[in-house]
Amino acid sequence: MTVVLQEGIDQTVKGPYVEPTVVVALEGISKSFGPTLANDQIDLTVHAGEVIGLVGGNGAGKSTLMRILCGGIWPTQGAIVFGDETVPFAHYDTTEAQRRGIRMVHQELSLCTNLSVAENFFLEAPQAILGRPGWRADYRALARASLDAVFPNNHIDVNAKVGHLPIGDRQMVEIARATATPGVRLIVLDEPTSSLDLERSRQLRNYVHSRSQAGLSFIFISHKLQEIIDIASQVAVLRNGRLVWRGDATDASIKHLVGLMGGDVEAIQSQSSTESDTSGKPVIRISGRFLADGQDIVLRQGEIVGLAGLEGSGQKDLLHALFSAQRAGGEVERYASAGFITGDRQKEGIFPLWNVLENISIGRIARRSWSGFVSDETEARAATKPAQQLRLDKGRFESGILELSGGNQQKVLVARTLATDSSIVLLDDPTRGVDIATKQDFYRLCEQIAQEGRTLIWHTTEDAELLAAHRVLVFANGKVVRELTGPEITEEAIVGASFAHVDRQDQDESRHKTAAALVRRLVDMAPFIGLVIVLSMMIWANPFIASIFGIDLLLLPALSLVLVTMAQMFVIGGSEIDLGVGPFASLVSVLAATLLYDTPAYGVIAILVAIAAYGCLGGLIQARKIPAIVVTLGASFIWLGVGYSLQPTPGGASPEWLSKMVNWSVDFVPTSVVLIAIVGLVAVTIDRMPIGVVLRGFGNNSSAMVQSGWSPVRFAMVRYLIAGFFAAAAGLSLTAINTASDVNSGNSFTLLSIAAVVMGGCALLGGIISPIGAVIGAVTLALIGALLGSFGVSSDFNAVMQGLILIALLALRSAVAPRGSEE
Amino acid sequence: MNTITFCRMWAQHNRWIWAGLGVVILWFILSVVTNRFSLSSMSGIVLSASFLTLVALGQMFVVATGRGNIDLSISSAITLNAYMGLITIRGDDSNLVLGLAIALLIGICVGVVNAVLVVLLRIPAIIATLATGYILATATLLANRAIPGFAVSPTLKYIATSRIGGLPVMALVVVAAVILTAYILRYTVYGRTLSAVGQSRAAARLAGVKNGRVIAAAFIISSVLASVDGLLLGAYIGGAFLEMGQPYLLQSVAAVVLGGTLIFGGSATALGTLLASILLILIVTTMQIMGLPPGTQDMIQGTVVILVLALAGREAVTRTVRKAPEGKTEDGIALKKS
Repeated sequence: MTVVLQEGIDQTVKGPYVEPTVVVALEGISKSFGPTLANDQIDLTVHAGEVIGLVGGNGAGKSTLMRILCGGIWPTQGAIVFGDETVPFAHYDTTEAQRRGIRMVHQELSLCTNLSVAENFFLEAPQAILGRPGWRADYRALARASLDAVFPNNHIDVNAKVGHLPIGDRQMVEIARATATPGVRLIVLDEPTSSLDLERSRQLRNYVHSRSQAGLSFIFISHKLQEIIDIASQVAVLRNGRLVWRGDATDASIKHLVGLMGGDVEAIQSQSSTESDTSGKPVIRISGRFLADGQDIVLRQGEIVGLAGLEGSGQKDLLHALFSAQRAGGEVERYASAGFITGDRQKEGIFPLWNVLENISIGRIARRSWSGFVSDETEARAATKPAQQLRLDKGRFESGILELSGGNQQKVLVARTLATDSSIVLLDDPTRGVDIATKQDFYRLCEQIAQEGRTLIWHTTEDAELLAAHRVLVFANGKVVRELTGPEITEEAIVGASFAHVDRQDQDESRHKTAAALVRRLVDMAPFIGLVIVLSMMIWANPFIASIFGIDLLLLPALSLVLVTMAQMFVIGGSEIDLGVGPFASLVSVLAATLLYDTPAYGVIAILVAIAAYGCLGGLIQARKIPAIVVTLGASFIWLGVGYSLQPTPGGASPEWLSKMVNWSVDFVPTSVVLIAIVGLVAVTIDRMPIGVVLRGFGNNSSAMVQSGWSPVRFAMVRYLIAGFFAAAAGLSLTAINTASDVNSGNSFTLLSIAAVVMGGCALLGGIISPIGAVIGAVTLALIGALLGSFGVSSDFNAVMQGLILIALLALRSAVAPRGSEE
Repeated sequence: MNTITFCRMWAQHNRWIWAGLGVVILWFILSVVTNRFSLSSMSGIVLSASFLTLVALGQMFVVATGRGNIDLSISSAITLNAYMGLITIRGDDSNLVLGLAIALLIGICVGVVNAVLVVLLRIPAIIATLATGYILATATLLANRAIPGFAVSPTLKYIATSRIGGLPVMALVVVAAVILTAYILRYTVYGRTLSAVGQSRAAARLAGVKNGRVIAAAFIISSVLASVDGLLLGAYIGGAFLEMGQPYLLQSVAAVVLGGTLIFGGSATALGTLLASILLILIVTTMQIMGLPPGTQDMIQGTVVILVLALAGREAVTRTVRKAPEGKTEDGIALKKS
């Protein structure tokens, strides 16, 4: 069966033909991850206009091969050839792949959710970074046109934030964006229809068909074999890292492909014949939002219950709800202890720093009281039985967990739960990416532990595995829509039920969302409301303030904080925090009052050097992936140390031109208001420019930006340079306003700037910044001191007020934030 | 060849060795160059390092919880408790129990507030502790007005300054604390769960660890240790001043990282923290002996921290790359309840 059909043979069948140009050829690709060989000597040639359907079971090596093709990882062996040119992999990365016209649409979408649809289209064109006025309109038009070309009659708003779009729309944007990439020659679509309904899938098929006629090539990865046969001109089958078949789609049938993929249907002993045992003790009751119709579902001891449905239809939600369920009350009730076995080993399964034994024993340990003594001997004894059941070699207990293959890591996770006395076992797609031998061990074990009296709740993405279940709950749109028992459990029934209920929109949820959005908008207005309240209280206490001169006097000191806040805002936009921004402003202030005053040329150079150093710090943080907080905390000592060495006691003088910049006046508006407005305007402009969009993109989804060909280190430096200029301007303003400098004058700005940024509505996780809000927030916070003063409260209370405001704001924000979004 | 591999493996599992080597080498150089370093001068350094070690141990628990968590409120907690010690004890040992109780109470309260902000309100640790630090700063300003005088408790003064057979009492206390911490980290259920939480919140939760409680305990340990340290530090210097806790913020983080605790959490070493504290104090003392101006001293300290992080970063890189998607999954299901 492992016959690799030669290209030439295939082609000759089609009669008179012109040899199509080769877009790209992978030759002899092998890739090993530790002991596992993910790709083994794979050859894959893509001709212009070809649509290659790539199929294979989980862990067959499809995604590894595609990541190599797209420059995401390097193979252990092999070559990549474009035309006649063999490109060394050392020079081949995502940017290079992009440049040569290869574009991949990932399963985990790689859009920046904080940016609009049009801005996401812009991200595909790194050369357009300089931009010009009106650049946004171009990408709006491009986005509109591309979306309409692939998916006619879509009603996607190109100005909407991607994060606000439903998942299906996001997938459409992602696909359309790939097709719009300039110079694209090959598009890899990884499970593109997983979130698309039938009509949109059909549109995509039509589009792929028409573009391939025009010479664009596609690689189409899907688990839906019928789809592959319909859409592809060629089919390539991978199995255990090898290319086992390649041929015309017309020669392929589902049965044939399943056979080639080594369908493990036979591996599963069907339990369908045995009626579900209704005599067992009830251990779980499901009700409420998980059910499409009223009848509660009760799961019993000794049952194997499968959770089926299209991916992301609510199966995982139920598993997690069951895991955190209480004994009584709530929509799911659990009457016995539960253990969780995840299939996502890297993200939520293994503890990378520990050895095998420690990884197994944590399950038992976590259920004991804190002061308990942990002994490796006792744990090893407890782990022996499950290890034997799983055929996991005891000799490997001391090995680091990362040295194990995926299959063995999975065994460790299973052993972790078996070592506890949990009578319910929750399984979240546990055989994902696991080799066939381990899978078979695993199926055998499941049956065994069910017989021992444990209950298994098993979510799987491989429908064939569900045949092992006594009962199957089929999910659609977050609810159980069908319950299959005994002989009813067939793959057809499961697939039929999963698709039958798709696309019934949940009305309740959207109403709930608008209510939450209203509250969130109110919180967003907080800085403005705050400023109005603070100002009116002050005017009430002292009517003199309500004059141009009064406002000017009051707001001028706020200018420095506003500038520092803008600096902090750009850093926070990259999901980092700068604890050295205040001291940096003081340093520049000292430089301005000493060097710049005495010898202007040296002063200018010194300030520029300081800003450059500040920018390099950002590059260092990114390049070494070290926590910005600690680095900037360390840097704050450097800034202070330099400032202190230059000027141990407050003093110096402000250059005349510098003082003039804050001491001019027009009759009808307060000078300070004008200056603050200018600062805000500059920040808004930077944020609206292409560079601002890129910086926000990095703050939201750094890996997507890298995939689109942007350099993270370079833009980290750009980010810190921008912040450095604002912080330096803050330093200059300090000197100008105080007509002298003090190395400690900026210290209090650090916390205040963070508070102002948060108050202004920027997300601490990065990606969302709002200059206007932050400016207003900074002004409000700067006035707190004056407000307390005008009510005769000691300035000792400034700090406590500011700290409390910050906490209150963050608490409020976390209360209205959508659940789960903050972590 | 084999011995080299063995040594490298051993050093990977015993990261405190680097700080230990640093202490030995620097001390050796200093004794040769200046002729002024002896075992007794070393015991002086160990004494000052003890005050740093105590806060750094607490900081280490917070750092071990992962996600770059750091307790920024410790410097304010130290200063406030130095003042509170003067106010409550008034140099009279009959008030000592009251003084200790209040210090513990302040420590627990601050820790609980930090934990509530971080665990329940999901505010990033840095910001939460920065904010509580500011609130404590105001409390310190008020306490500053209320101090009756600079008399310190004789018992505390004995612990903080005396020696038994040439060994500082304070150092013995701290060594006991280090041993206890090492025991907790290595052999207790809490130590294991702390490491699990620090390595992966999602995995820890699914393994059955109560993440919130583990993290909360770390913050409480940190502020209690900082509070007690403040009390003792006040007795050591014979009073209190407003900025006295300030240097301990950077130094405690530096001691933790330099000692070999991973800044991204999951692995902590009490011995390393002790050795790194000694190394840092040794560096500071050296700079003082060399007569470097305070500004330069600050610059060197800052540079040391950044350099250590940049060099230690490599190990962290491999881990963060793997963990990168964790914080930003679209569905967020796995992370909701951590």
